[in-house]
Amino acid sequence: MPNTPQLKSKHPYAEYIERIQQGKTLLPDTPENVLEVVGVLKSYGVVMDAYYKNLIYIAEGQFLELFPFFKYFDGKVTIAKLMRHLWHDRINFEYAEYCMKVMQWHGGGGLDEYLESETFRKCAQKAIDAKTRGNFFIRGLNKAFPEFLLEQVRQSVYYSVLGQFWDVMCEIFLTLSDLYDQGKITTIPQIVEHVKAGLVRAASKPIVYAVEIGGQRYNIIPKSAKLTFLADAAIPYVETIFFRGTPFLGTVSYNAQAQQIPFDQGRFAYGALYADPLPIGGAGIPPTLLMQDMRHYIPDYLHQVYQQTIRKEDDLLIKLCESFQKSMFCVTNATIVGLMPHPIDTRDPKEQKINLVYLQGWMDRLRSSQLESVQIGSAS
Amino acid sequence: MLSILLWIPLIGAIAIALWPNFQSGRQVKQFSLVVSVLALVWTAVIGSQFDIAIAGSQFQETIPWLDSLGLRYQVGIDGLSFPLVALNSLLTCIAIYSTDDDLERPRFYYSLMLLLNFGVVGAFLAENMLLFFLFFEIELIPLYLLIGIWGGARRGYAATKFLIYTAVSGIAILGSFLGLVWLSGADSFVYQPDLAHSLSLTQQVVLLGGLLLGFGIKIPLVPLHTWLPDAHVEASTPVSVLLAGVLLKLGTYGLLRFGVGLFPEAWAVLAPWLASWAVVSVLYGAFTAIAQTDMKKMVAFSSVGHMGFILLAAAAATPLSLVAVELQMVSHGLISALLFLLVGVVYKKTGTRDLTILRGLLNPERGLPVIGSLMVLGVMASAGIPGMVGFISEFLVFRASFTAFPVQTLLCMVGTGLTAVYFLLLVNQAFFGRLTTRADGKVVTLPPVAWSDRYPGILLALLVVLFGLQPSWITGWTEASITQLAKTAATPVAVLAPNAAAAVLGQSSIPS
Repeated sequence: MPNTPQLKSKHPYAEYIERIQQGKTLLPDTPENVLEVVGVLKSYGVVMDAYYKNLIYIAEGQFLELFPFFKYFDGKVTIAKLMRHLWHDRINFEYAEYCMKVMQWHGGGGLDEYLESETFRKCAQKAIDAKTRGNFFIRGLNKAFPEFLLEQVRQSVYYSVLGQFWDVMCEIFLTLSDLYDQGKITTIPQIVEHVKAGLVRAASKPIVYAVEIGGQRYNIIPKSAKLTFLADAAIPYVETIFFRGTPFLGTVSYNAQAQQIPFDQGRFAYGALYADPLPIGGAGIPPTLLMQDMRHYIPDYLHQVYQQTIRKEDDLLIKLCESFQKSMFCVTNATIVGLMPHPIDTRDPKEQKINLVYLQGWMDRLRSSQLESVQIGSAS
Repeated sequence: MLSILLWIPLIGAIAIALWPNFQSGRQVKQFSLVVSVLALVWTAVIGSQFDIAIAGSQFQETIPWLDSLGLRYQVGIDGLSFPLVALNSLLTCIAIYSTDDDLERPRFYYSLMLLLNFGVVGAFLAENMLLFFLFFEIELIPLYLLIGIWGGARRGYAATKFLIYTAVSGIAILGSFLGLVWLSGADSFVYQPDLAHSLSLTQQVVLLGGLLLGFGIKIPLVPLHTWLPDAHVEASTPVSVLLAGVLLKLGTYGLLRFGVGLFPEAWAVLAPWLASWAVVSVLYGAFTAIAQTDMKKMVAFSSVGHMGFILLAAAAATPLSLVAVELQMVSHGLISALLFLLVGVVYKKTGTRDLTILRGLLNPERGLPVIGSLMVLGVMASAGIPGMVGFISEFLVFRASFTAFPVQTLLCMVGTGLTAVYFLLLVNQAFFGRLTTRADGKVVTLPPVAWSDRYPGILLALLVVLFGLQPSWITGWTEASITQLAKTAATPVAVLAPNAAAAVLGQSSIPS
């Protein structure tokens, strides 16, 4: 069979398209990048493990608690834990909630449609009735404002869905780290392949959600809703957190009235791939919260790399953010490759054409991202 | 006892210059730091023995020297000079501490530093006019060399300009002293407040004119100031700290001691003109500072403006305004030393002082957040934000001068407002915003700031706040002497009651 060359693109980011066509990666394959990406994903995996467990706990254990003071305690409230919480010696679970809210705000996937369906309303109403039994004040409130508790349930659904998504992802990242430690992963393409394989493996995993009230289980997302991991959790997540994000909680202030923010949410580009890695570092700025959590779990080899820079670990949060951005480009890369309409190495010109249009669509969106800046080696 | 203050730096300087066993620059630095700390400790000892109730000179020492010339080694300390001596001892320690370890020709440098300390202390302590002049001149030589050898690219120009200006200043001062002694028929140069009483008003005005020219250059007052920005820009950070913190104060101290103290009548005649001169200095300094893009030059011009406040208060010559003069001297010494130190750290870490290049230095991760915060505090103090020593001194200056020269005072207050303008420009430009991006799109990575770079700034910032909350810890030393000086002055413009200073500062009475 003759070797049909891949179609060439005239896109400004044709270089990256070509790389993907050749089975290479968006992030340059260098030993430093491998080390940084695996190291940061290791610490991300550790905090993500805590995040997802807490999200699931809130979704199931704090269902319709209107004043969930102990929601970050995972059901184990002790004086010592409370003191540590107040002293702020803890994981910033607020970051997970921030991601959850952004997901809910942007919506997308089958989940969004399901939450507006009659099935969901019925399921949710049953759970609400069960939960508010005997509480006449809340029942009255629910009668007067029937959407209020329903919206709370929708939020709980997002708590649960993000929790289930991160459960899978955290395992992918932690096994990646284990494989690296065993010397089985040494290149960026291997990392991308590992993530892609993990996503593909979990692709059809059903997304379900049920709460237990008074000893009885109430399905909020039954299996019959046919929500699955890849289409209804992973893709909306990547779309929301990697690409769209929110313009409101970053370090740069935008003026919506001066039309600095696009009207169409779909054109938002404030996500992780676009973020300025130089946040002011203030408390409460979401990326900073994540970096502050990750800094406690950085593997030694990554510490050593950071120690060799001019500032050592004085600017650790920024270095972590830069490394994190690199790792997120690997995940994006895995998603792009995983969702390719046709195999990368297809010889059929028609399929190649479709693939090319698909890749150009992604590259259009990456134009204003930090893709160019992760091409350069670490900033000293 | 007092002479030990002079002997410590002098012996230290000689030891550094001649002792053969110093191996490295670091050793020399440590030795000179020990010497300067000893001097500071001895200043504290003198402070602990100092009786604040006595208006006149204390710890006096007299040794005949060249009696035929009227020159005696006669030193003493009073409430006017003590705060400045203490300031000098403190800033010398800080200047030596913040000198680079890998300095070239360290033995020469540190011996000059200590010699400078010796000259300045001598001038503050001298009670013989000729002795004062000698110390005043001695201090020029080390400073000239410190700028000329360890300065920036145009150090030769700056040092020579400084030398020529201050040499002229010395001649003018010497001329006035000689004239005073000659006309009054005194047999020596011993400082006596009533020396000029027998002189006619014209003679007094002429002699005072000489002093104004001499000290006006040293302060400096516009248009005699042009040596200062050059000297500051070219001098290394520790030298700038001493120059702004202490050496300029020799000028205002001289005006107070010899201008107000010796020629009260002529002073009263010239006072309205001096107040107007202060306005020119203040506004010129402020407007010129606004136009600067070099951080150090901006701080230097702000010095010109702020020294103008001292002239305004000195012109009013009321007890309260003279307290204000003393307080503003110390306040400006601390604040400008702080600002020059911080500018020095910024320059050391970024390699530039150009406000068109520097951005976002307050970034907590990649910038200089502690230095930036201290800078914000420093400029706030300089702009007279309450709670810091700059506020209390400027408030006193305006409060005391307003009754005597309302128009000039109001105009000077505009200068205070302008301080906020140019320092906000500085802070906004260099410290706020996003850090500068390199050509490859990455953010610049500045070298980390060591705690040793921060300590001197933190110490000065603490003092700025401490004295801002408790100004009587400065004024307490000085009130008795000031009250006496104001009585001597007893000028027509002295409209406030002698104990007004105490009333304003919350003191029950002033011993007199």
